[in-house]
Amino acid sequence: MIRESGLFGQLLRREIRSRFIGSATGWIWLVVTPLLLLAVYAFVFGVIFRARVPEGFELPFWAWLAVALWPWLAFSEGLQRAAASIQQHAALISKVAIPRHLLVNTSVCAVFVLHAVGFVVVLLVIQGLAADIQWIALPYVLLILAVLYLFALGLGFLLASIQVFVRDMEQLLPTALMFWFFLTPIIYPAELLPEAARGLLMLNPMTWWVEELRLALFSGKFLLDQTFLLMVAVATGFLLSGRAVFNRLSPHFEDFL
Amino acid sequence: MSRLLLSLRQVEKTYPPTVNPGERFGAFWQLLTRGRSQGGTTVISDVSFDIHAGESMAIIGGNGAGKSTLLKVITGVLAPSSGNIQQSGTVAALLELGAGFDPDYTGLDNLKLNAAFLGLTPADVEKKLDDILAFADIGESIHEPVKHYSSGMVVRLGFAVVASVRPDLLITDEVLAVGDESFQKKCIRWIEDYLESGGTLLMVSHNMYQVQKLCRHALWLHDGMAHAQGDVFDVTQAYLAWHERRDAEDAKRHHGHASANLYGVSELSIGGKAEGEKRLAMGEDLDITLRMRSPDGRAPVALIGVVRADGTPVYGVASDHEDVPVQATADGEFQVRLRFPALSLLPGGYAIRGHAMDPEGLRIHDTAEVEFTVLGRSRELGLVRLEHEWLS
Repeated sequence: MIRESGLFGQLLRREIRSRFIGSATGWIWLVVTPLLLLAVYAFVFGVIFRARVPEGFELPFWAWLAVALWPWLAFSEGLQRAAASIQQHAALISKVAIPRHLLVNTSVCAVFVLHAVGFVVVLLVIQGLAADIQWIALPYVLLILAVLYLFALGLGFLLASIQVFVRDMEQLLPTALMFWFFLTPIIYPAELLPEAARGLLMLNPMTWWVEELRLALFSGKFLLDQTFLLMVAVATGFLLSGRAVFNRLSPHFEDFL
Repeated sequence: MSRLLLSLRQVEKTYPPTVNPGERFGAFWQLLTRGRSQGGTTVISDVSFDIHAGESMAIIGGNGAGKSTLLKVITGVLAPSSGNIQQSGTVAALLELGAGFDPDYTGLDNLKLNAAFLGLTPADVEKKLDDILAFADIGESIHEPVKHYSSGMVVRLGFAVVASVRPDLLITDEVLAVGDESFQKKCIRWIEDYLESGGTLLMVSHNMYQVQKLCRHALWLHDGMAHAQGDVFDVTQAYLAWHERRDAEDAKRHHGHASANLYGVSELSIGGKAEGEKRLAMGEDLDITLRMRSPDGRAPVALIGVVRADGTPVYGVASDHEDVPVQATADGEFQVRLRFPALSLLPGGYAIRGHAMDPEGLRIHDTAEVEFTVLGRSRELGLVRLEHEWLS
């Protein structure tokens, strides 16, 4: 157990460093990239599309978009990295006996850590330029994000296991994730849809995360309720089943890499 | 009996078919629902052995016998298809050159990560860092990316990390062969010291000298099965003898093929007998008889040569050089007899080679060799005694 956590730390550090190795300014991009992205979204949605936030929120559209977009970026990039993680470390897996679940876990964790830094930058910019962030809800927000991480991890285990055997996943996944992105009310408010379609939208778990994050950050919701329990249930369910599939298949990975 | 560190029972490994996507998907589904897949190539079957603490065992065998696969199964990189592996205590394995090294990172980063793979905490690594660096002895290169390393440097670093861990069981594949002479010696010394202090070793090697020096037991794998196991000297000698027999069979098969429809040597003898190593004293006469076959009734050309035991040619002469008639014998073969009177070869091991050539004397079709030893007490140097006289 101690050995695994030490190894986890080492692998995580390496995973994060591998994004910056070779780039001269390295860590500065952690802050600059989110700022640039934020400027692009502000321009596209504020100036070109003149998008409006739904009723009940008093803030520019880009701020409303950003608090949902960053968790989504972490989630979708986490899934893609997790899916590729076993294949990417094939050389390591075929020569060194390490607990293979660590490779999936560190991939997802690194993505979440990096996007968390970006998220903090984004929140500070929103606080400075656009609207009051309800900081009282911060513990709840962190909790939601932690549960999102577990959800991503569970799905990641599933996808990583499948990708070792069925390489087509690599092609399918980005498209599937883009579809999922547009089925989640991230760049549009759920209220825009007809009543019947809104019910269907609520079947998509990512809708819960997105809406809870906005409620917490802008309306100051900080109490746990049914929605949170639902999120925990979904995340735990995926984590347990994903890990079960992974554990069953991981001894055979080397044969198929 | 000391503690049981590793125990294998009827271990079998089958590589599943992985070529086309359909097979891959099928295997995925079978593994998910039933925990095993069908078909494939069996590379190891029915291997069982125990290793107790303090023992040392070598796995030997030809290329493709399954040695490396067996080590991978033991270390857990591969899952056995059936059978049982039990293991206790700490294990460190050096399976392949640069295993677990990322070429983009510096030697030091890789050292730390590899140490973590072996179960060392960062604090342990800090403590042992100087020892590891001293053992690896690659100087300032430790701050260079591993992709700039020579293969010898990679092995030095890999072994140094393993050496610092001092596992209960050390597993090495044929990796030490890459290091230079002095590093190999250092490793061997370390392994000897490790074994003396109660360490346990499982190694794969093609170097029988190393195997006999380091190990007390050996397992000979042949086509994935344990062909022999037990005392290291019994097993390695049986293994080497098998190789010699196989080489001889290869040569014979070659020979047989050549003689089927071409000019061939049917007998080469010296001094009258064809069997066994001949001994003769320096200065004696050496008589050679070469009998040959011909597929078309024409007389082949005979070529007879003398070589030193290591194959260095000393002298050769062919029947057509000197217009010597090759005589037909009563049973349809052809024969030449040659004498080297008062043999001037210096004492040592030599061989006579008899070749059958086509009647045109263009190609050698068959070769036979008879070894012999020249005895004598001479302090002269070289191969032959040349006629000489000291001038005053």
